[in-house]
Amino acid sequence: MLRRLLARWAFPALPIGFAVVFVVLPLALTIAVSFWTRVGLVVRPAFTFTSYEAFFAGARLLVFERSFLASIEATVLGLLLAYPIAYFLAFKVSPRAARTVLLLFTVPFLVNYIIRAFAWTWLLGRTGLINTLLMASGLTNEPLDWLLYSDVAVLIGLVTSYMPFMIFPLWLSLSGIDRRLIQASWMLGAPPARTFLRVTLPLSLPGVFAAAIFAFVGCFGESAIPVIMGGVGYQMMGNSIASAMDVLNYPLAAAISTVVLGAMMSLLLVWYLAFDARAFLGMIVRPGK
Amino acid sequence: MPRRRSATWFLSWCGLIAVLFVIYLPLVPPILFSVTPAEPGGVLTLQWYLALWRDPVLVCAIGTSLEVGIVVAAAATILGLGAAMAIRSLRVPRLVLALMLLPLFVPGVSMGLATALFFRLAGFEISLAKIAIVQTAWALPFATLIVVTAMSTFDPAYLEAAYVSGAGRWRAFVDVELPLIRSGISGAATFSLILSFNETVRTAVVQGPLNTVQTYIWSTYKQVGLSPALYALMSLLILLTVALVAAFVVGGARTSPAASGVNPRGR
Repeated sequence: MLRRLLARWAFPALPIGFAVVFVVLPLALTIAVSFWTRVGLVVRPAFTFTSYEAFFAGARLLVFERSFLASIEATVLGLLLAYPIAYFLAFKVSPRAARTVLLLFTVPFLVNYIIRAFAWTWLLGRTGLINTLLMASGLTNEPLDWLLYSDVAVLIGLVTSYMPFMIFPLWLSLSGIDRRLIQASWMLGAPPARTFLRVTLPLSLPGVFAAAIFAFVGCFGESAIPVIMGGVGYQMMGNSIASAMDVLNYPLAAAISTVVLGAMMSLLLVWYLAFDARAFLGMIVRPGK
Repeated sequence: MPRRRSATWFLSWCGLIAVLFVIYLPLVPPILFSVTPAEPGGVLTLQWYLALWRDPVLVCAIGTSLEVGIVVAAAATILGLGAAMAIRSLRVPRLVLALMLLPLFVPGVSMGLATALFFRLAGFEISLAKIAIVQTAWALPFATLIVVTAMSTFDPAYLEAAYVSGAGRWRAFVDVELPLIRSGISGAATFSLILSFNETVRTAVVQGPLNTVQTYIWSTYKQVGLSPALYALMSLLILLTVALVAAFVVGGARTSPAASGVNPRGR
């Protein structure tokens, strides 16, 4: 009896308990600590907006703006690259080839992104591969300076880091589309472009938004790529949090983190309310259970 | 729809391969630099790889990484399996899945900060356990997705058959379902191990006195910059990651975790 009870409930309850204690609780604690005060090096419970004022008044607001813009750019670029790839994999190649290509895309994602960022600094540097190739081919006479330690470099770092993972939700929602809808559109006389715009694209929007949110949130909180590829003083939100932590100002770090979490939560909420998640998750979660 | 092998189709493949090339490009330079000799004109060398073993801090970090990696692979897989069962058997599958996938949508620094605050206020100071917990939380969404995908192709009728034959819930799971979702289990374990080896940001915030290989690389970079020995270490990690994925692909799991069709003949 006890063993049956354990097999039935304890096993599924374990991960839920883990996620509540080590993910939800710490995140809730972050929000609480953002209202606390700092006395010397000690953090005391209180209810003050000092940390938020420090954040919205200081130069960190510029960091917020820059992070916002860079993340939007990286997300849009990532979508423009990932969508055709996902579309091609979902409709134009065999499932077997699609799975192989998807697996190939996961490998670089799994290799630590800090290592990849180090490699990019060499590839984009004055004496790096890209400048060497450009000069050897005669396209430029001097090495391009703006390739590294610039907005362009950070953008390259962000897109190459997050784009591969955007392909998965896009592919998932595209391959879940009922082909008969596309055939119906074709039979009713719509040209391919119109079929895509009126049928395929709207049906794949849940995947588009899932990919966009994943990339946007990841870029927004990025802390290593700006430091390695943006050069001295280049900061994004992740760096703001890290630098506040370095000086042991935990309430300020928590306040910035809460702003990031708030942005993320509202995006997720919009996604949840705007789309029937079942249409998307139906692929992986058996319906009717 | 008939597949047309048109010019567009070939061009699309070329574009895809070009994108893959760019994505894989950063894996090459560390390996090149790690075999470059100290004095110009020399032949390829492995001296930097040998130098790694003379650094006691690094040897200790490698030990920690291995210990944590094994714990994370085991814990994330078991928890992922439990989560997949919860998604199947509880009345609120979307809510459970959302809870499990939450860490995917939280930036690494924010998650690290949150866990660090939590451990501090709870007075929890065991370095190894802190690293293992924060990495398990990071690997769990991936492990859950992989097991859920494998499970979604499993026909529950097999379980019914086991119950009819007199098996209990536990016996039916161990003897019937587990062998059929084996590729999902091994996929979850492999990916969790790889994610653990390659995690920096979350670990760096909570680590305490212990170092993992990744936090060693990050702190060495911040203190003294990059060196050939550091490139050698990065190359080892890149090769290890690629080898683990290859071992997973070759090792019986012919279907990828992205969409596995579990073959009942696999028994």
